[in-house]
Amino acid sequence: MAKIKRKGESGAAKNYVTRSAAIRKLQISLADFRRLCILKGIYPRDPLHKKKANKGSTAPTSFYYTKDIQYLLHEPLLDKFREHKAFAKKLARAVGRQEWGLAKNLEDAKPVLRLDHLVKERYPTFTLALQDLQDPLNLVHLFSRLPTNPIPGKTTVPTDAIADCARLISEWKLWAIRTHSLQKVFLGIKGVYYECVVPSNGQDVRVRWLEGYEFQQHVPTDVDFRILLTFVELYRVLLGFTLFKLYNEENLVYPPPLDKALEEKGESVGAYKLVQQSAGIKAGEGSGVSKKAVKRAIHGMATAGVSGEAEEDVDMDEDAAVGEPATEEPTEDFIERPSKDATDDVAPGSLTTYNTIISSSSATASSSNLLFSQYTFYLSREISARTWEFVLRSLGARVISATQMPDPSGSDADANAITHVVIDRPMTEERKRAMENGRKWVWIQPQWVADCVNRGKVLAHDDYAPGKLLPPHLSPWEGDGEMQRPWLDQTTLADGPAAGERPEVEEEEEEEDEEADVDVEEEDSDDDEESTSTPTFPPALLASAQNPTDKTLLHAAELEAESAGTSSSAFQAQLQSAIKSLGTAPARKAAGSGPSGKGKAGEEDLRKIMMTNKKAKLYNKMKYGNAERQAEKDTLETKRLAIEKRKRKEARAAGKA
Amino acid sequence: MAPRAVQAESSRAAQRKAVPRPAPTAAPAVNGSKKRAAPAPVEEEEEDEGLMNGDQTLEMSDDEVAEGEEEDGNEDDEDFPELDSGSSDGDDEEEDDDEEEDGSESGYNSSDIERMYEDGDEDEEEESPATTPSSSREDLTIDEKLSRMIAKNSVKPDEAIGTDGKISAAKTGKGRVVPSKYVEGSYRREYEEYEAGYGSESSTEDNPNTVGNIPMEWYDDLPHIGYDVNGRKIFRPVKGDELDKFLANVEDPSAWTSVEDKLLQKQVQLTDRELDIIRRLERAENPDKDFNPYQDTIEWFTGKGNERVMPLSAAPEPKRRFVPSKWEHKKVMKIVKAIREGRIIPNKPTAQKPAVYAIWSESDQPHQEHAMYMPAPQLPPPRTAESYNPPEEYVFTEEERKEWEEAEKEDRKTDFMPAKYDALRHVPGYRNLVQERFERCLDLYLAPRTRRVKLNIDPESLIPKLPSPRELRPFPLASVVQYRHPGSTRVRCVSVSPSGEWVASGSEDGVVRLWDLGNGREVWKWDLRGGAVQSVDWSPNAEEAVLVALVEGKVVVLSPLWLVPPAVAAATMEHTNAGFASSAATTKAGAGKEVKGVEAVKWARPGESDRERGVLVTIEVPGTPKQVAWHRKGDYFSTVAVDAANKSVLIHQLSKHATQSPFRKTPGQVQRIQFHPHKPWFFAATQRYVRLYDLAGQTLVRTLQTGARWISSMDVHPGGDNVVVGSYDKKLGWFDMDLGNKPYKTLRYHTKALRSVAFHPTLPLFASASDDGTIHIFHATVYSDLMQNPLIVPLKILRGHRVTEGLGVLEVRWHPQKPWLISSGADGEVRLWCS
Repeated sequence: MAKIKRKGESGAAKNYVTRSAAIRKLQISLADFRRLCILKGIYPRDPLHKKKANKGSTAPTSFYYTKDIQYLLHEPLLDKFREHKAFAKKLARAVGRQEWGLAKNLEDAKPVLRLDHLVKERYPTFTLALQDLQDPLNLVHLFSRLPTNPIPGKTTVPTDAIADCARLISEWKLWAIRTHSLQKVFLGIKGVYYECVVPSNGQDVRVRWLEGYEFQQHVPTDVDFRILLTFVELYRVLLGFTLFKLYNEENLVYPPPLDKALEEKGESVGAYKLVQQSAGIKAGEGSGVSKKAVKRAIHGMATAGVSGEAEEDVDMDEDAAVGEPATEEPTEDFIERPSKDATDDVAPGSLTTYNTIISSSSATASSSNLLFSQYTFYLSREISARTWEFVLRSLGARVISATQMPDPSGSDADANAITHVVIDRPMTEERKRAMENGRKWVWIQPQWVADCVNRGKVLAHDDYAPGKLLPPHLSPWEGDGEMQRPWLDQTTLADGPAAGERPEVEEEEEEEDEEADVDVEEEDSDDDEESTSTPTFPPALLASAQNPTDKTLLHAAELEAESAGTSSSAFQAQLQSAIKSLGTAPARKAAGSGPSGKGKAGEEDLRKIMMTNKKAKLYNKMKYGNAERQAEKDTLETKRLAIEKRKRKEARAAGKA
Repeated sequence: MAPRAVQAESSRAAQRKAVPRPAPTAAPAVNGSKKRAAPAPVEEEEEDEGLMNGDQTLEMSDDEVAEGEEEDGNEDDEDFPELDSGSSDGDDEEEDDDEEEDGSESGYNSSDIERMYEDGDEDEEEESPATTPSSSREDLTIDEKLSRMIAKNSVKPDEAIGTDGKISAAKTGKGRVVPSKYVEGSYRREYEEYEAGYGSESSTEDNPNTVGNIPMEWYDDLPHIGYDVNGRKIFRPVKGDELDKFLANVEDPSAWTSVEDKLLQKQVQLTDRELDIIRRLERAENPDKDFNPYQDTIEWFTGKGNERVMPLSAAPEPKRRFVPSKWEHKKVMKIVKAIREGRIIPNKPTAQKPAVYAIWSESDQPHQEHAMYMPAPQLPPPRTAESYNPPEEYVFTEEERKEWEEAEKEDRKTDFMPAKYDALRHVPGYRNLVQERFERCLDLYLAPRTRRVKLNIDPESLIPKLPSPRELRPFPLASVVQYRHPGSTRVRCVSVSPSGEWVASGSEDGVVRLWDLGNGREVWKWDLRGGAVQSVDWSPNAEEAVLVALVEGKVVVLSPLWLVPPAVAAATMEHTNAGFASSAATTKAGAGKEVKGVEAVKWARPGESDRERGVLVTIEVPGTPKQVAWHRKGDYFSTVAVDAANKSVLIHQLSKHATQSPFRKTPGQVQRIQFHPHKPWFFAATQRYVRLYDLAGQTLVRTLQTGARWISSMDVHPGGDNVVVGSYDKKLGWFDMDLGNKPYKTLRYHTKALRSVAFHPTLPLFASASDDGTIHIFHATVYSDLMQNPLIVPLKILRGHRVTEGLGVLEVRWHPQKPWLISSGADGEVRLWCS
């Protein structure tokens, strides 16, 4: 006979515990539990049957997976929490009794919380850590710019946490510049989005993050900074380990030494120096190999393998202590800056020190074939150096910011090297000429840089001149669900048609477009009218016209049109006429005509009768979702058409007047 | 004499304890057998005393006398009056002594000590009689003494306990003696006014209201608020209204320092002293002004002059009290040695792990993904709408902006409002950045996670793959012929003759009409004069032309004899009249065997004129028969009348004019009936179930559970293994009886109640008609292979019947050979649908 099953002894009742039960089991306070959950990455679950999980009650509760809580029971952090609690009590007692000596002793022996094991546990491989790097980077970027007391009277953010966050993002950006891994930049209304490609074990991981604009952040009062600080605590550790690994792979010393003087001048990324690990892999480089270098080399190999041994730890300490004053190593000022003695012998545009580093590490791509490696950019003073220096440098450009050279109109070597001026305010021609001082500079707005990066090619700069109305800035992550905008592609490509002929083309397109519009209207008014136009359409277009609902066919037709050089509006017009000539109405119209109309639509309806209830519900849901998406697209498209029409009308009116 | 004083005080207190000693025990000890009561030390003392003080013993202490009052009769050697005959001067002294001695028994319980002091005591008192207050008591009368005695002895014992420290003035004999007001000729002692400290009880406060500590609302309804000490009512003081109160508060500067006395119901001004107490309580200080928290220690046992002479323990002081620990020393030395040798470095910073190290290596393997592992979803990438300079169509129009602003935060499609800026320098800081990061953090640790399967399939793939209707032709497509009834009366029923030539229809005006199928011409009609025609049905026997029509209380057998070939007409006549010939009494039912309960059924021969019009037989049945179903051979037919209780189902035999009621008791109301196409089985559909009976074996074969609320129609597939059931709750159930008692498919496609379902007799088609005015045509192939389920393909929706008064198509029938459908509707039309 089978074992008798009792209620509440298996299944959901056993698999889930409520939060209060979990706290009781762990014997900790709610605040500690919250911290533990954040650090360990434990989250509530949504059981399929809440009633079964909660002993028959349907009251709203959060459930945790029982196994998660069981694992928490022997979490070393839990012990540390308790130790800290005892420590806090002892310290308070000593301070209260004014026993300063005892208090100092206690303070010295303060229990330290280490989160290393959590990093390894939550991200067993480096790839996993990279895949989850978006949130850490976002939060650390935010914290790097916070005031110490974001909400007066509430939890203050420790200064060292802010400084550490700032250091981490500087190091991260430094690494991105060094490896030229920046792929995409997007200027949103929330801030600047970046995307980097980070190699890990042969596969590339895309890491995207958001950096707010350089303003004082508005902090609402209901933000609990204790929670944020707990997250930041973990993320700092995670980022530290990630950067260590990334720097090590680049054969660089981590943490990179900080140039205090430069930092005081207001440099963020530029204040750090990249130091080569002395011949870690290429051990037999020369005869002047010092003892320390050998030791470090051995260490470099050891770190790749085992970790966490005491001896090694000591080594690391020594390393850190020795790394900074080490002068015999090939320390190079990675950031190119216009110091007089350094740049005298350096030809403009070629970055010698930079190149030497790159050639020494064979893994990275050569800088010569980067997007901006031929150019030198001058950043005007209203340009955020934090953003654009990073972007431009990681694409191989040389950057001179307004802080380094307040007046670029002079004629020293640096000023002569300038090819582009990034400027975000209107400029008169005279002023430009005065600044150029007989040289030829390209004046651009910052969006040009972002668009170039996203497209992967240098675009024509005419539309981006200072004071001009810019072309729309599109998201590089626009997915399949979003609209394709080939018409924008064509107008902004550098190797597109010359500026002179473009307006004519557009004029033609307009004409055709309008015709198409009229056609559509006609079609709407009388379906029965047979068109007598000669069907001389390309094959893909024909196929698409025969089956107007098929996306892939449409896409193929678009590609065909593009290769043939047809403009998009012309293509649309062609498609419309093709559809008309073939007599196939778009599916939308057919759907609107009701079930009694066409036989085909009626058949669709009838087959649905035979669907099971479950499938029918799913089908309806999917149809609804698709319709919503389609409606969204349609409203955008109609809005676009309306705006274009209005603009044309305005242009025509302006032309007549 | 310091110890003496202490002794005296304590003994007095003890005496008061001893006073209320129960009389029965004390008195015999004193007066009677003193020696016999040996164990009590008190008696011994008294004995001693008696020995010492000779004559004085007779006088005894007051209390003892008082106690022994009742037992006076037993005492022979002494009597009460003698008491005052003795020297009155020693009286008080004696009393004091007695008191002392009594006290000593409870105070020290040591008679030795007591004795030590006794002599001196007496001496002293005798030496200085003037010093004691007793000198003023010289003149006390007997009455006074008596009253004192009574007063003393009537003290409750508990009151005295615990007041050892303080002795009331009465006991010390302070105060003046004045003549008593109440007792003539007596005196009473008056004492100085004693100022009650704040340690005193509240009962000492003079309270004119004697009601005590009760809720004062008990007196709310009464004119008085209590009683004074003399029992007179205390009347409620006049109280002003709120305005008066307010004015009083405003005008009187001292109003804020007054409180309401609940007991007297008036405002009482707080004294400075009380205010001071309140102030102190507010400041969390001791309420007593004079309380000194830093009192000097009173050294009782320490300090100069108070040293204890005798040690508490006689044990010698152990060595460890004054010699340093050897083992501790050894331990310390060990550490010192280690420090000297450098094995221990004090305050050495602990070896710490470096902040960062190579935590990941090449050999790392990801964990095996657990079924319950749900990583947090990544934030979606920003879309173009989020751009600082999006294409213009992304910017909200006025309505969209309004909609966005009015929507709840959770309902918004985007958490930001798209905006377009001319230049990057115009972009302001984003206000919600911190909030969004915070919410993301909350989501990460607080939001319950669940796994949702996202189906990435084409919704069209969910539609079952079915053969195209084109391949399944022929089936009816369009209405070809319409048979219009005059007056648009509802046509409840319709039937096609087995030859396929004629259509019979029964309408609500009580007329059965016969139509030419091909051209829609009405060829004949029978007015049955019995209300609405419920059902008509042709006999399936093609060699005859027999039509059965049902009206209220009557089953009528009709035949269009002059329209059919003579042979057919003859066969019909012979068949229908055979019963009249065989049973002479044409009117009686149950020709074959007498069936109980069918007496009410009457087979009758209509009149000559009716017979000429083709009305061949009428059968009177109980209730209103609703449906008629023919057996395949055309001799038997069955009728069902819902309202005829246990005679609702009747099976009639035309050739014998016999009627049977197959069920003694019907289970529920039978709605529909049907003969099995080739077995002696019989289907009866009640409201919810379809029951299949074996008529030959008289057994229930099976019960089909339809799941419908109310069955409206039923038809059996010509193969006999499949049944369709239509219901008023818009459902159609297909039963494959090989598969079980539950429907193989339940279809819900009509928007209103189903009225009729019908299988085509030869072709794989079936149709269903509904109140929504549509007829659905289905292809239904039933395979002979048992492993293959029936194939049901919806083919066509026929629309044409108008919906009148909520009713649409009432009945559908198929043409016996062709794929044609006949339907009758509530709009007074019968239509023929052809392919």
